[in-house]
Order: sequence, then C-alpha cells, then structure tokens
Amino acid sequence: MSGFRTYEVYQRTRPGETTEWIKPRQLTSDAYLVDPYPLVAILREHTPCYRDWPGNAFWVTRYDDVTSVFVDDANFETRSRAQRCGRDGWGRDLGEELEVLRCLERAADQQGEAIARRVLSEMEGDLATEVFARLPFELLCTAMAVEPTTDLARTYLHLRRATSWEPAARRDGLDALDRLAAWAAPLLEQRRSGDGDDLLSIVARVGGSGADLAITVLEMDHDTLHGVLANLWCRLLTEPELMDEVRGDPLLVKAAVLETLRHRPPIVSADRFTRHEVERFGRLLPEGALVRLSAAAANHDPRVFTDPDVFDLHRRDLCQREPRGQYRADGLPSGISFGTGAPSRHPAVPEDRPRSRYAIVRDLASTTTRAILEDAPQLRPADGATPTLRSLRIGEPHTCWSLPVVRG
Amino acid sequence: MSACPFHQVLDETLRLSDPSPDAAGARRDFPLMPVGQACDMGRASDGTPLIDPRLFDSAEFQRNPYPYYRIMRDHHPVFHDTLHNCYWVTRYADVEAGYLDDEGFNTIPKGMSNGVLGNTQLELSGIEHRRRRNLYGRHLVGQALDRRIPIIERLAAEMIASWFDGTAPDGSIVVDERDPSRRSVELGKAFANEFPIRVVCQVLGFPDEARSQFFYWYSSMMNGLGGSETAHLGIGARQDLEDYVADLVAQRRVQPTFLYDDAGDPIGKDIISELCTTVVDGDLLSAEEITSNIALVVGGGGETTRGAILNMWYLLLQHRDQFDRVRADPTLWDAAFHETLRCASSIGGQPRHTTWDVTIHGVTIPAGSLVNMVDFSANHDDRVFADPERFDVFRPDLHTGKIIRSGVDRDGRRSHMAFGVGPHLCPGAWISQQESVLGSRVLAAALDARRVRVGIDVDRMPADIDGTSLAPIGLGAIRSLWLTLEDASR
Repeated sequence: MSGFRTYEVYQRTRPGETTEWIKPRQLTSDAYLVDPYPLVAILREHTPCYRDWPGNAFWVTRYDDVTSVFVDDANFETRSRAQRCGRDGWGRDLGEELEVLRCLERAADQQGEAIARRVLSEMEGDLATEVFARLPFELLCTAMAVEPTTDLARTYLHLRRATSWEPAARRDGLDALDRLAAWAAPLLEQRRSGDGDDLLSIVARVGGSGADLAITVLEMDHDTLHGVLANLWCRLLTEPELMDEVRGDPLLVKAAVLETLRHRPPIVSADRFTRHEVERFGRLLPEGALVRLSAAAANHDPRVFTDPDVFDLHRRDLCQREPRGQYRADGLPSGISFGTGAPSRHPAVPEDRPRSRYAIVRDLASTTTRAILEDAPQLRPADGATPTLRSLRIGEPHTCWSLPVVRG
Repeated sequence: MSACPFHQVLDETLRLSDPSPDAAGARRDFPLMPVGQACDMGRASDGTPLIDPRLFDSAEFQRNPYPYYRIMRDHHPVFHDTLHNCYWVTRYADVEAGYLDDEGFNTIPKGMSNGVLGNTQLELSGIEHRRRRNLYGRHLVGQALDRRIPIIERLAAEMIASWFDGTAPDGSIVVDERDPSRRSVELGKAFANEFPIRVVCQVLGFPDEARSQFFYWYSSMMNGLGGSETAHLGIGARQDLEDYVADLVAQRRVQPTFLYDDAGDPIGKDIISELCTTVVDGDLLSAEEITSNIALVVGGGGETTRGAILNMWYLLLQHRDQFDRVRADPTLWDAAFHETLRCASSIGGQPRHTTWDVTIHGVTIPAGSLVNMVDFSANHDDRVFADPERFDVFRPDLHTGKIIRSGVDRDGRRSHMAFGVGPHLCPGAWISQQESVLGSRVLAAALDARRVRVGIDVDRMPADIDGTSLAPIGLGAIRSLWLTLEDASR
C-alpha cells in the first residue's frame, strides 16, 4: 500500500522556524505579479523550503536545491499540461518524437530569422505585442506549413491558457484544444500519404490524430522565446548605455540573452510533485507534495552569483552553455529558465539528434535581436512609455506586455 | 493575418487592456449577494456554471457559501482547485464514503494543525490512531461523563448566576441607562467562550491557577493554526504551554490527580495524569506528546462548542416559534443542537490525502493529493436533507438521537456530518453535546426563574448587506451574540 503509513513521522514547526517576514498571501498578491524578486529573496534567505499552507506547496528557492530537484526524476515527477487541464489520455504528446524535434529545429534555424525580419517590418508601434508575442505563432505556422489566419491565432492564444486556474481562461483553453483538433484532423488526413517534412505531415505519418496534434502544441514551450526577447528589449530600450554597448559589439548579444534568462527569466517558477515521501531540505516532504521551484529566487542566489541583482553582460560566473542540472560545464552555473523543460542530463548531445530546445530558443532570440539591431538601428521607446515586466496572472510568464517604440 | 492583426487578437484573448479587476491577480472582490444567491462566475460552453477558486478566499463566500456549494455539488462534485492545489469534495455520499475509507483517504501529517497543535491523532491512521485515541477517549463519553454531569451543570449555573449578581466578566453586560430592568448580555463573553474550556480543563486536570494564562495560550494557538498570518504567535504559545506542561508532567508522574463525582467519590485519574503514566510502545509519553494531546482536546473542545452554543441561540432566537417549543419541552434541546450543527457548525470539514490514485465522478485524483471533505456542503446536500437551507428543529430527515461512529441511516433519518463519521469521528462529540445542551437548559431555566424575556439585541449585532436584517452565520460560528434581557412581567 503505497503511501499508507501508520507509524508516526512528523516535524513540528518550532519557534524561529517559521518566518514573520513574509505572509503566504503575498506570494499570490499583485505585488508578486509585478516584482516577485524581493519576496522570493525573503524565502531564500530565511526559509529555503517554505511551507505555503494556503497554496499547499513547498517553495524551494536556493540555486543548488532547485537544480537538485530537476535532476532527480526518481523522487520528483513533472505533471504534463494535459494532466493539469484534465485532458490526460485525450491525446498523445508527440513532442519527443525525433522527427518532430527536427522539424521544429529546422523551422527555427532556417526560417526563424526571415520570419523575425518580416514581422518586424510589419510592426506599427509595439515591439512586445506585434513582434515578440507573434514570433512563436508564426514559427509554429511555418513548421506546420499553414497560413497564419486570425482564427488560428485566436485558437493558439487561448490554448496557452488551458492550464489556468482561472475558470474562464481554462474553459476557453479547453475549447481551443477541441477547435485545434477539429481543424487539424482533415489536414492530417490530406497529408498522411504525402512526403512533406512539415509538422502536420510528420504527425500524420506517425499515426497522430487531431487530438494528438493539439496536445503536442499544448505541451510545446512558447513562452520562453516570447518572454526572453520582451524582457531583454525592455531592458535595452530603458537603459541606453546598455543598448549602445550591445550595438557596438554584436558578439555581446548572446551574453545578453543568457543574462536575461538568468536575471529576468520569463517563467519564474516550475512545479514538481514528489513521487513518494522524501526527506530533503531539512524537511519531510510527503508523497504527492507540490514542490514549487523558484527560478526567480535561484537565479538571484548570492551563494552562486556575485551581485546577483545586477544585470551584467560580462558576468564571469555564468555558464555560456546550456544548463544540465547539477552538471556545470566549465564549472559554472547557468541561469535557470524553465520554459525549456528539465535540463538534459546527457553529458553531450549526439550528432544525429537535434539541438535542445534551450539552444534553439537561445539562438533564435540572439538572431532576432541582431536582426532588430540591423533593421531598426534607430529604435527607441515611444515618448512617455515606461515599459515594465509583470505576470498577468499567478503562474503565467513574467514579461513585458507592452513595448511602444518609434523607429527613430 | 489580413483580417485582424495579431496584436489585436492578443489583446482580445489575454484581455491586456481590460482594466476590470477580475482580469488581474489572484485576489478578486466578489460582489456581496443576497443570501442564497450566487454571483455569476461565467459558464462553460455547455452552460455549466463555473467556479472561480479565488472565491474561497473571498468575503462573499465567508458569509454566503451555500449557493456556491450547491453549484459545486450539482456540477463539480469533485472540484480540482489548481490555485490552492487541492480537491473539494462536496456531496454527502462522497464525504461519508471518504471518511469511512481511512485507508484510501488517509490522515498522514500534512494538516494545517501540526505546527501548532503538534502531532496528534488527527494525523494518524489505523492502529496508531486507535491506540492514542483510546488513551483518553473514555473520559469524554459514557459513565465517566455521566457521573460528571452535575458538576458541569453547577459550573453553568454559577457562570449564569454571575449575570445577575454583578460579577460577570467585564464588558459582557451593559445595563440600559433609561431602563435598568433592560440589559444587554454578550453570550460569548458572559458564558460560551469560557464555559467549554473550563469543563475541558477540569477533565484534563489543568491547574486552576494557570487558567488565565491558559486562555491566552489557547487563543493564540487557535488564531495561529497553519496557514494563518499569525502562525508564529501560535507556535510561540504552543512552546510556552509545553514548557509549563513539562513541569506539570514531572509532578503528575509521581503524584497523579483524580476526578471526583458530585458525591466526592473518585471517578478516575484526570486526563493529564492518565497520560503521564500511560505506556505506548513500551515507553512513557513525553511532555511534548502530552502537550499535543492537551492542545488537541482543548482546541477541539473549546472553539467548536463555543460556536455551537452561539449559533444555536442565534438560530433559535430568529425562529421564535421553534424557540418557544424548545423552552416548553427541554428534551428538545438535543434536536436543536443537532439541527444547529447540520445548519451551521463551527468546523467546515476535514482534510484527507489520497493513498493511491482514485477517480470520483470522472475526476482522477493522484496519490498524495489534498482532498478537502466539506462537511458544510454535505450537511446542505438536498440529496439527503430536504430544503437544506431551512433551520428546522423538527425536520423529519435528521437523526437527532445517539451519535454513532458509523453514522446513522434509519427510518429516513441521516446523521449530520459535523462530527464526521468513521474512525476519526469527533471524540468530543458526546461531551460537546452535553455542554451545549446542559448549558442551554440551565440558561433557559435561569431566565424562566427570573421571569426574563430574551431576544437578540439587533442594534449590537452586525447587519447584512441590506443594512437591516441580521448577518448570516456563513462559514463557522458567529463571533459574538448580544442578547437583550427584559423583565417579562412588565
């Protein structure tokens, strides 16, 4: 009988073990949506494994603790988005199929830059909503080899909220899931016999249904590309000296992307669940416990990064390679950005496999940033604009939702 | 993208420019609705009403929960609340089945109480649970309880007599300046807050000289349970209590103290002395374990019974015809007590954790998930109780007789869920019924004897949103109850 215990195991919270510095409701407050950093810093410095009773979660906030959970598949499980929105078993996630991975890599590497330049050229005045938010959608349409229509855009955007705790958004998301499946079904049928290398043909050839495609899109990461670009450009446009420095040396673009992923990760936390009772971080975590891993806290952990709150293009203590859990290339820690999923635990990516999604996003963000620097060299914030980052809702990306600009 | 630019679709779907508050963060101000009506939280495509989990943190839900529980029972009998990472189970049959299945729905220590109360039997299962529960359970039931009834009655009579001889607690009684025969009494301060704790302290054998300190510890602990913002005060108070109990335990191990009946004959050791000499698994209980038991007995027996007494008088006085019949026939107080608990009990429900994956009403709950069994909702389930929102002492579908661990379903009558059912049935159910019923009988008799007419002092009680009618009880118990006492002979 797994988990059924009659013996006595418990930890009583004792005086001094709970903190007066933070109240649990602050972790779901509007202040957290705008700026989670000071709040999670309190947790990191005072209660590194914080029991959040109202949210029924354990917050883990130190860098080494967070990465240790990521690599620990034996003790912690990731629950899929399908599971979270109650559609477990409704469709298959084909995102790990080699052909699907190759297809997405191809779209990003071969067409990403062209898409970015086209979308930028069509921009009328808002870099965040007209370019960065649109980019992942255009990329997906390219990968599927379909026309980006208004209806499809609507479906796509609703779909991204299918896991929301907010009931209307969740309802719209689930409806979108159904719409996407119905939209894809005839296309899959058409392309099943062809030899196309687009996403729909590949899904069709492995026997995928409309529901399988919908779930595959649901499980994809769309937020990191959008978020890292918006967060980086929000900073570049509000700090002219930084902008000048990056303009002067395009080699710094990749460092700027990586430092953004560390300093302002768009996905500020990720959830894992204990597979069984685990004793970690000085606590007994019961089976099925929600462990909330705070990237915002871990990436600003002074135990790991010097002056962690400073955005520094020339950081010597940040790994320039992809994060691989506790394995540190060059002995250096990487910024944690979760939208890319759990870091690969393989010491090296084999030649015949596509690059990791992390690497694809990093490279496309760099390419796009260089393209904007070239195509719109005089870009500056619109008068009176004060762009800031915020999450629209608890659990949603922490990013810049409005970046009004003029071309100079 | 010729029809409509992407950023407009973005704005429309994410409502970026929508300033309405329900599009913002994790707090939402729900409109206060007339009692019994739910506000609109939207509907699914098939017309099913939706539940917004922010509701559970709202003032509206606190005062007017029942229409929302009805939506949950009818449309979302297992509601997965991803904001609070839990599941809400709301139908009577499901709550009952969950309580009776203590293997599938376990009580392992994840509850809100264990920081403050410590590890108690609330959070144990199986043999460990039975062993600890039996340590003192017998003090709260049967003969041991029956023999102490005269003492409980006398305590109630003393406390109520103080209303009329000028020794009532400060601030509990206000005499009308224009008409000295008319006075207002706050039933909580003057009686209900302290009475159950004094009864429980006696059974525990807690020394009288520490009683005032004890009230402070007790209220800090009750206000500091798990998720509250004053948890650190509760934890501090718990430690102070434990330090005090440690000395007490050292004495009682050597020199136990006893409970006596009205004739002065010993009934047995008091609970603390009993625990001091009890051996579990070949070892004496530690001061920490004994403190946890004290905290549980007092926590379980104080606040809940206080609430039952206040809610019962509040409801009865709003249903004058029923009040008059209960006063005319004091045997009806038991039915009034049970109908009060069905209608508005002090405790909303109990947490359980799934031992394995379980699917209920099509919702799969993974192993280890927190499942909130909602007693409030089960007691208002019209699959079991007709017209459940109505307070009716004489309702034909409620069992008002002896409380039985397995629950009662006989002659069309069902037990209410306020005490739960199954192995974890409230061990204080019997003593709390005795306290509430005896206390109310003594109070009613004292008022009759002095020819006093009693009513609710509506001027001192909070009004509902219409500004005139009395505020509903909502979740839990009312905080205070102001009564007017008038000379009935005038």
